Amino acid sequence: MRRRYLQALSVIILVAVVFLLLPRFYSNQSFLFNLMLYLGLAEGVNIIYGFTGYLPFGYVGFFGAGAYGSAIAITFWHISPFVCVILGGMAAVATGIVLIPLLRLSGAYFAIANLAASQALYLIVANPTMEKITQGPYGIDLSSVYNADAGYYTMLAVLVFAMVVVAYIRNSDFGLSLLAIKEDRVTASLAGVNVVRARSIAWMLSAFVAGLCGGAFGWFTAVFYPSTVFSLDVSVFTIVFALFGGVGTLAGPLLGALLLYSMYNFIGISTPQYFQLFYGFLIIGLVLFLPDGVASILQKGKVYVP
Amino acid sequence: MSHSGKELLKIKGLVKKFGGFRALNGIGMDVGEGCIVGLAGPNGSGKTTLINVISGVYRPDGGSIEFCGRSVYKLPSHKIVRRGINRTFQVPRPLSSLTVRETVKLAAVYGTCEGNKEETIRQALEIVELEGVKDVVSAGLTFAQQKMLGLATALATKPKLLLIDEIAAGLSHQELFKISQMLLRIRNTGITMIVVEHHLGFIDALTSDVVVMNAGGNLFRGSIQEAAQNDEVVEVFLGR
Repeated sequence: MRRRYLQALSVIILVAVVFLLLPRFYSNQSFLFNLMLYLGLAEGVNIIYGFTGYLPFGYVGFFGAGAYGSAIAITFWHISPFVCVILGGMAAVATGIVLIPLLRLSGAYFAIANLAASQALYLIVANPTMEKITQGPYGIDLSSVYNADAGYYTMLAVLVFAMVVVAYIRNSDFGLSLLAIKEDRVTASLAGVNVVRARSIAWMLSAFVAGLCGGAFGWFTAVFYPSTVFSLDVSVFTIVFALFGGVGTLAGPLLGALLLYSMYNFIGISTPQYFQLFYGFLIIGLVLFLPDGVASILQKGKVYVP
Repeated sequence: MSHSGKELLKIKGLVKKFGGFRALNGIGMDVGEGCIVGLAGPNGSGKTTLINVISGVYRPDGGSIEFCGRSVYKLPSHKIVRRGINRTFQVPRPLSSLTVRETVKLAAVYGTCEGNKEETIRQALEIVELEGVKDVVSAGLTFAQQKMLGLATALATKPKLLLIDEIAAGLSHQELFKISQMLLRIRNTGITMIVVEHHLGFIDALTSDVVVMNAGGNLFRGSIQEAAQNDEVVEVFLGR
């Protein structure tokens, strides 16, 4: 067990060091930021989908709640943006608490209800009558506190936090109880697991990670609109990245987000038509041949994936 | 019958409805500490429903369930388990992606605060003879092994009362004998049991205290031999 924690720790240190040093050699900070953002979000989805089986199609709702929660705190309270990012995470947790009853649903019903909830939140935030609080559809302007470097390293801290949470879940009894719930709720509760509590904790941790990502994104970008931070693309990208790499592990979602997001950047922006074609084939291939993600190739060869 | 005096489980007037159908219709039962009580009855008489209600898998709609002098009525399963009641399923419900050891460990960690966890896991696996496959994923076990894993999981929560639901169904004659010996060994460690069974010979080998249910209520309590002489029992099993 100690060995597995060490393996997870080495993955976390590797990722942290790479993103700490890379800006010295590679000047596209925005790309590196977005890459970290999707690594973090993919780990966040991993917490809830990989370990409890709930597919959160409305995951972007937490991201948007975090971005807006943090931005509103910065605008009204004028406190350290770093603290506001954490408050953004809390705003996402609050959203998560409101949505806990959705966990009574399962499968596609949960996914659809969660999607609808995220869009409801979007419509509330973007409503012109909310202008005094959220600026409605006119978007948020944080240029007075703009600091790209601080935003970048805050995102790095968020990513490390997300990886630590996943590493803990992957190797702890709590994680085992979540996997048990995913397999069979009744058997899990007869093993003494408090099913409602365990899955609610996972749900809120997952929301917290997305909220922190949203807060860091808002600070780094400084100007954004409701349509940016509540875009369904965020949910879809994150879920595809996590699934492609292989959920239920620490390294899988990192691998998926790294490969697919890099590819999206290198060919998706210059030649979107080829990218979409390629992406489509990739997803078909994934569903047909690798439903458990890239990590499953190694796992089938009896290699332990942290 | 042969209790050491103290009542462990007291059930009174228990009701469970599914829509307009009363699967349990006022059944009552006392179980003394250290006994094995057989639970028999025709198909649909409510045996498995009773097990499901006692273990908290179904919520009851009336009556009372007292365990060790405290009510466990309408408690959620995980709380009932921690009070000291556990059960097995007729059709095993394994946690497919977890190994045998992980499954039993989960129960030892979450199901009880008593004892040394490693020792609990080891004992549970030893009683059901699954030590040899402890690192195998549950999905890869045979049907009989999955049943044994269900029993080991229940044992790892250190129950005082174990509800065994048709453990003999689908098993060979040889396996049956082994299991009845195993259940007697478990009883000898001080665990009280309610054993639901169709196979009357199997019950007879375990206990002379049998409750016969019919239509969600009590019909008879006594030995299998007495039950065979009872006109009402013969009628519900065989028809008039």
